[in-house]
Amino acid sequence: MNNRSETRQLLVDTAERIFADLCDKPLLDAAERGEFPRRLWDTLRENGFHELAMRSSGVPLGDAFAVIQTAARHAVPLPLAEVLLANRWLDASDRFVTIGLARGDTVIDAPWARMADAALALDPAGNTLVPMARSAAAAVATGSNLAGEARDVLGAAQKAAPIDPGEPAYELLALARTVAIAGVLQRLLALALQYANEREQFGRSISKFQAIQHNLAIVAGEVAAASRAADAAIDALGDARFVLEVAAAKARVGEAAGIVAEIAHQVHGAMGYTHEHQLHHFTRRAWAWRDEYGNEAYWQQRLGRHLAGVGADGLWNFLATRG
Amino acid sequence: MLQFDRIALPPETEALRGEVRGFLAESGAHLARPNSDFTTGHDPAFSRKLGARGWIGMTWPKRYGGGERSFFERYVVTEELLAAGAPVSAHWIADRQSGALLLRFGTEAQRERYIPGITRGETYFSIGMSEPNSGSDLASVRTSARPVDGGWVVNGTKLWSTDAHRNHFMIALVRTEPPSDNRHAGLSQIIVDLKNDGVRIRPIRNIAGGEDFNEVVFEDTFVPADRVVGAPGNGWKQVTSELAYERSGPERFLSAFRVFVELVRAAGAQPTPAQAALIGRLASHIMTLRRMSISVAGMLEEGKSPEVEAALVKELGNNFEKQLPELARLVFADRLPAPAHERFRQAFTDTLLLSPSFTIRGGTREILRGVIARGLGLR
Repeated sequence: MNNRSETRQLLVDTAERIFADLCDKPLLDAAERGEFPRRLWDTLRENGFHELAMRSSGVPLGDAFAVIQTAARHAVPLPLAEVLLANRWLDASDRFVTIGLARGDTVIDAPWARMADAALALDPAGNTLVPMARSAAAAVATGSNLAGEARDVLGAAQKAAPIDPGEPAYELLALARTVAIAGVLQRLLALALQYANEREQFGRSISKFQAIQHNLAIVAGEVAAASRAADAAIDALGDARFVLEVAAAKARVGEAAGIVAEIAHQVHGAMGYTHEHQLHHFTRRAWAWRDEYGNEAYWQQRLGRHLAGVGADGLWNFLATRG
Repeated sequence: MLQFDRIALPPETEALRGEVRGFLAESGAHLARPNSDFTTGHDPAFSRKLGARGWIGMTWPKRYGGGERSFFERYVVTEELLAAGAPVSAHWIADRQSGALLLRFGTEAQRERYIPGITRGETYFSIGMSEPNSGSDLASVRTSARPVDGGWVVNGTKLWSTDAHRNHFMIALVRTEPPSDNRHAGLSQIIVDLKNDGVRIRPIRNIAGGEDFNEVVFEDTFVPADRVVGAPGNGWKQVTSELAYERSGPERFLSAFRVFVELVRAAGAQPTPAQAALIGRLASHIMTLRRMSISVAGMLEEGKSPEVEAALVKELGNNFEKQLPELARLVFADRLPAPAHERFRQAFTDTLLLSPSFTIRGGTREILRGVIARGLGLR
């Protein structure tokens, strides 16, 4: 292990400890009821995690995505990716700034805009971000995605001059969802394995039934593929092929998400279908995140149109470029 | 959790890739009907050309004719050959596993006798594992080798031995001791000379109309003592050690690749949304499978034996290559114009008819899932 990967591991371990301590089932349920996880947020800020992706931090951007994946393994109900990237693009970290999609004069799908000082309205077509302050004049409509994560609409108010992020903003947010899906799928595999080993029926652990074993083998394959795809996209940061690598990765993990969530529920039986069980905090995130920042069809078509331009005789060269 | 480390091919492999592509560009005569399936296309002249280039036995010691190159370099050569649809069947098994097995467990005399010919692309091996009543349950093989003066007398039948009617040797898994409570004990691997030992070889026609795999019958066949690989009784350990080599390579997800190429050609520069989505989807799978497969090559390079990881790559890869033609046919609602129709149709037909074998050969889907489940600690 080289120094760079050791530093990343240290960072991930620190984040892991914070999330394991503070992000439990009651906190997830409270967040879903609209209660902002203040203590967790403050702890992350005290440890400097909110500044991780800033160019002044000296930390490789890939490390920030490794932390985003760690947070996803715990279903952390905070807009970590949005805050990290907003602070990066604003080159400031004193305020709480989230990111959503520009729709007319409003910002939609902005995580926790109700709590934020401002939201950046992302226009993918122009790759610009318009800062919009949350104020008394700006109406906030609270909402949530299918995982119960805060996704708000911020009305038109106090627009500042557009920011040029200097890098593909939509694709970086798509990468954030990609690595997060891989993280949540890793957790689903662990939960399914644990449950299959503990649960007994017909006088033995259900993990001893071949039908269950084969389903879990499918899950392991999809999780391994999702993890490798997400890692490859992180490794492509700053590369000329970055956008296409994100396309391939988001499409691949999106496919894995549906398969893994389905089997994880099947293994857990009716227990996993209850709100009381923690499983749904992870499966619903997998389902929600595959649709955020471009679903499989969107990214498959983007990649596919590019390859149609490359043509049949250049196809292999494209696929075999970059180990 | 099963880990596939972020290993990239070393940059120096790119020069080699260029050499292979240059070679393929001049090999038109051998690529008249490209097929990415590794069992299709038995072309000794082509294999000898590869041998002359140093592209067989690439990772083996130079004193036996090998190249002492890395698993990554071997990876690049094999994936380029498969992607181009080159005829690699003749030397494939010898290069992938038989030579590696002899290097690891064979005697010095065996290495000197067989390996240089393999690296020249002149000596070809077949696998002798399955039998009429031993498929997935390999330990139940009944072909027996009875010790006699100066060697062994073999009786029994091997099945599904690809190219046994064309190749020179087979490494057969045989029972050298009667079955006991330990069903993995008493098995040995012996080298059978398919041309000279007097075995009866009957090609078996497959659903594609090809005659690639065979039944090989032993009737009191004498095999000299010096053809036992490794120690008698060590067969099970040896045969399972081949599996990481056998299961993780690019041939486990590229078998249908030529259909993908013709799909892109037929869809043209302005694909429909469904065509574009499928092209992107297939690409996203190949890019990921390839990286997982390269991770396994990296583990082999480090001297590890990643059998579970290899099984996982094969399982995912076989399902993908099996699905590829199924998905491709549905993005063309109308008959394609000629000659796109002929090109796509030929690649599709050739591949679809082979596709049932993808999830059977080299370990069935069900066996692989069992191996993965064991790796997960479930059994």
